[in-house]
Amino acid sequence: MTPDTTLFRPTSKADLDAVAARWHEGQATKKHQLLVCAGAGCVSSGCHAVKHALLAAIKDAGLGNDTVVHETGCLGSCALGPTLVVQPDGVLYTELKPEHMKGIVKQHLVHHEVVEAHCWVDPATKEPVPLLSDIEFFHRQTRLVTARCGSTPYASIEAYIASDGYQALAKVLAGMTREQVIQEMRASGLRGRGGGGFPVGAKWQAGFKAKGAEKIVVCNADEGDPGAFMDRSLLEGDPHAILEGMLVAGYAIGASQGYVYVRAEYPLAVERLEVAIRQAREWGLLGPNVMGTPFAFDVEIRIGAGAFVCGEETALMHSVEGKRGEPRQKPPFPFERGIFGKPTIINNVETLANVPVILRNGGAWFASLGTPKSSGTKVFALAGKIENTGIIEVPMGITLGEVVHDIAGGIPKGKRFKAAQTGGPSGGCLTREHLNTPIDYDSLVHLGTIMGSGGLIVMDEDSCMVDVARFFLDFVQDESCGKCVPCRIGTKRMLEILTRITKGQGKEGDIDLLEELAANCRETSTCGLGQTAGNPVLSTIRLFREEYEEHIRDRHCRAGVCSDLFKSPCQNACPAGVDVPGYLALIAAGRPRDAYYLVRRENPFPAICGRVCTHPCEDKCRRAQLDEPVAICDLKRYAADYVFANDEPHRDLVFPKKAESIGVIGAGPSGLTCAYYLARLGYGVTVYESLPVAGGMLASGIPEYRLPKEVLAKETRLVEQVGVRILTGVEVGKDVKFEELQKKHQAIYVATGTHFPNKAEIPGEDKAGIAHGVSFLREANLGRAVEIGSNVVVIGGGSTAFDAARTVLRLGAQKVTVLYRRQVEDMPADPREIKEAREEGVEIIPLVAPVEFLGNGSVTGVRCVRMELKGFDDGGRRKPRTVPGSEFVVEADMVIPAISQHSDLPFIDRDEVQLTKWGTLVVDKETMMTRKPGVFSGGDVVRGPDVAIQAIADGKRAARAIDRYLGGTGVLNKGEEIPIPRPVDESDVAEHERFPMRFLDPESRRKGFQEVAAGFHRLNAIAEAMRCLRCDRR
Amino acid sequence: MLVQVTSPPPPPVTTCKCGEATEEEKLARIGEVVEAFRDKPGSLIQILHLAQGIYGYLPIHVQRLVAEKLDIPVSEVWGVTTFYSFFSTKPRGEYSIRVCMGTACYVRGGMEIVKRLSQTLGVGVGETTPDGKFTLEVMRCIGACGLAPALLVNDRVVRQVNPDKLNRVLALCG
Repeated sequence: MTPDTTLFRPTSKADLDAVAARWHEGQATKKHQLLVCAGAGCVSSGCHAVKHALLAAIKDAGLGNDTVVHETGCLGSCALGPTLVVQPDGVLYTELKPEHMKGIVKQHLVHHEVVEAHCWVDPATKEPVPLLSDIEFFHRQTRLVTARCGSTPYASIEAYIASDGYQALAKVLAGMTREQVIQEMRASGLRGRGGGGFPVGAKWQAGFKAKGAEKIVVCNADEGDPGAFMDRSLLEGDPHAILEGMLVAGYAIGASQGYVYVRAEYPLAVERLEVAIRQAREWGLLGPNVMGTPFAFDVEIRIGAGAFVCGEETALMHSVEGKRGEPRQKPPFPFERGIFGKPTIINNVETLANVPVILRNGGAWFASLGTPKSSGTKVFALAGKIENTGIIEVPMGITLGEVVHDIAGGIPKGKRFKAAQTGGPSGGCLTREHLNTPIDYDSLVHLGTIMGSGGLIVMDEDSCMVDVARFFLDFVQDESCGKCVPCRIGTKRMLEILTRITKGQGKEGDIDLLEELAANCRETSTCGLGQTAGNPVLSTIRLFREEYEEHIRDRHCRAGVCSDLFKSPCQNACPAGVDVPGYLALIAAGRPRDAYYLVRRENPFPAICGRVCTHPCEDKCRRAQLDEPVAICDLKRYAADYVFANDEPHRDLVFPKKAESIGVIGAGPSGLTCAYYLARLGYGVTVYESLPVAGGMLASGIPEYRLPKEVLAKETRLVEQVGVRILTGVEVGKDVKFEELQKKHQAIYVATGTHFPNKAEIPGEDKAGIAHGVSFLREANLGRAVEIGSNVVVIGGGSTAFDAARTVLRLGAQKVTVLYRRQVEDMPADPREIKEAREEGVEIIPLVAPVEFLGNGSVTGVRCVRMELKGFDDGGRRKPRTVPGSEFVVEADMVIPAISQHSDLPFIDRDEVQLTKWGTLVVDKETMMTRKPGVFSGGDVVRGPDVAIQAIADGKRAARAIDRYLGGTGVLNKGEEIPIPRPVDESDVAEHERFPMRFLDPESRRKGFQEVAAGFHRLNAIAEAMRCLRCDRR
Repeated sequence: MLVQVTSPPPPPVTTCKCGEATEEEKLARIGEVVEAFRDKPGSLIQILHLAQGIYGYLPIHVQRLVAEKLDIPVSEVWGVTTFYSFFSTKPRGEYSIRVCMGTACYVRGGMEIVKRLSQTLGVGVGETTPDGKFTLEVMRCIGACGLAPALLVNDRVVRQVNPDKLNRVLALCG
């Protein structure tokens, strides 16, 4: 926008007001203002093409006189770009393409109808939300510094002035002394936003007092923290605000020269800032007589050249002087001796953008925002594993949980929050236990991290914290200027250690060495880069020490990132270490029998697990990044079913018999697995099971329609075939004493699981008609008679709850309702089970907790109270809280509370073993032995209620441990090796969702206990297996 | 207090158009740039940006030219050139593919992209393909974190790169 030919130069507030009035008048003649976001992110997403199409569409519709199109700075919702905001309606359109413009112009501008197809869709409700003010991401923010970004054209100085621009400067020049300005800044409590958090008023005071004829103001726009892009957005979206801030600073300290040091990676910011500088000079707001006063101030841009260390003030000053960006000792501080020896004040972009806001509204007003010691707001750059990446501005003191879950939309793909990195390479992590922490300068330091410049990187369970530390060290090592020994060599050594650990070459003592080196760097480095280089390492060691230890001791990376430690992420995620890519390749090659036996090397129960496993492998499947995870679990079932249908004897290696024998208590998955592997080593094994049938929870807990008895029986028989003796109907402690077993066997494996249901502990629990989850299921699954109500309520959200609900439905209940205290997406049960249950007619009422069981003798209903979610618990899940006065009654003639289980060990002397407070057995992590020599334990009885594959993995480990205890090598007999087809390289991988498996329809399902999942058709199985990307290729 | 009102022209941070000018022409242009900045203290970095924009990279003979014209030791120019990652003493390929290795891009799979590109192009990080077409580099955070994982093809930012669809990225380079 060129100024008037009379070269208008405002010299007072009244002049500025006149400019503003003229601008508003001009805008008011337009029916619509269309704001196209032109932040760097949207530019990369093609917003310019969208804008051109928009202009063309407006012209074609003849609306040129009624509409004006502006390019604004970053709206903040980067992943939704390109965006368009239609004012005065306040409607937001997202993810736009040029071809959408004709339709939007026609429908919205001509016909005044919102185009819902291009509105933002709320992922929770799946409904479009047209108004900006209704979208949580926006309305939860407090946009002071970023107010113009997204609402005002950045390239127009008139628009800037019309939105209170340069009012602060006018106020200052009209009648404030320099001391008054500094006083206002002190009163505001503004602290440096670049990361140091140093009080700005105090810094300006020092600049004011410094002696020197020429002083310099510097804006530090070398935003180098990876993951931080707030300053960039401010420079590109509201460049005049930074100039105004610098002008006020220059006035306050007595400087006439300003530099903006911008990193070379931001050419767009440089471009827009240059335009703003030119405009400011033309309007007399920069130059020898600012606003017609004797105050002279001008600004020059200096571009960096790619050095993170130049964000440090002394390094920055050397770079402005055209030298190597090496830092120097402080004192002397910049205000004493700065650029070219002159007193220099250096402030961050966001800090300077706050200055006009403070001077306009007053320091006291600013101090009332945020927290007492951290006033005002902070701009954060949200990035990493969250739904809504982008820029937000929130008051200091907001909690981490609110930022991550409410504003950023939570973690995508149903994954769990693991950590949030703040402060870039100088910072540390916050974890689930900190979700209720208010964010301000001091609270973060207290927690071992720093605010930093505002980059907030969110990580989920797929991030390895050791690898994250290594990443930051790699960065710091690269960016170290090399001047001082502790940083140059210290960071290199730390990096070497971390790299070794991620490659499986970690040693005992590495963690201590890292801590020592980090402390050394902190205490002896010249500048902030070296001093804080160890922070990410120290923070992750403190909060995730087990991960470091797992890498070093077990050579295991639980996140599935350090690829030198595993074959493929899926195999790494399987507690039993099944060779997943191997068996998928065999199925794809038409060799399902070999696939079955390959699985059986690591897991004796493929047919069972293929039906009931929680498949942690699929959660790490890299195919999910392309379309959907491969159906690893269902394919295992396919291979097993094929073998059962075409039964042939299988050749196997058999070890000669040993003298020793082992007693296993409990024929569940853990006990049977342990027995299986020990028998294959030649030991005599006897399994003692108290129920009339083997299987443990697989027999008593999982209903027929999920796991047919026939399948369980087949795989149990295979265990017996290797020589295991299973004695059912024998309860240890009653039918045979534990001491007898100890005499008979050289080792004992206790795997009795958790079969005792937890009580709800609310009044009325002893009424008739209340049957607790696992007990009810046991009776039903063993074919014993059970009383069924017609209106049944189930309490709980795990597999037991849904198994009970669907069983009771099949046994004749008319109506089944599941009550859960959290939301459906928080339920531990598999989403497939929840979906199938709903299809069969089961209703779910979320956010409800039982308070009392009603009735006289027999239950007639449950009094419940509604729950709301506020804050977060230690596990990172939202905490449910009762809503007072919201009680209501759910009628029921049968209630099944299914709220987890506990174990009981009546046959063991409590004094001889150690128990946790939940009643589970304590064992040595390495040897799996209890305090009683020769007595081992694993599975749920040690872990608490857990999943089958974990119990199986424990059984395997126990077999190894027992073999070693009895003098063996601990190497298992897994059978013959099976050659696996080599991966074939595809030039381009085509997207395809999962090939479908067959299921019984819901109506047929309800009538009986037929298996719900009918398995793969052969062709679909082969096709599905071919979707595997063979991440095991090397 | 009189203050200088002019500011130097923005350095173009793009790859050179080497094919268009002769060696003499390029060196002459670099000489002109140095002249323009001679009286401004602290301009070495800005000069080197412009010189690299003209010549494509900063070999020792270009550094010598700058040093002579500024009347400073060539060791000082060498020291600044090798300190900053933007300056290269080796020629770059026609297309510089710079994969962002900022935290957000890293967390969203940046390493995988580097590995695949390295495999596909047959070069390591920092190297140029023998035909001079591609240079593969790793970049520090480019500030497009909302679009992670990102990479630059020359100046163009490519957003939300999929490691399985890298052929599309390479197709942008013709």
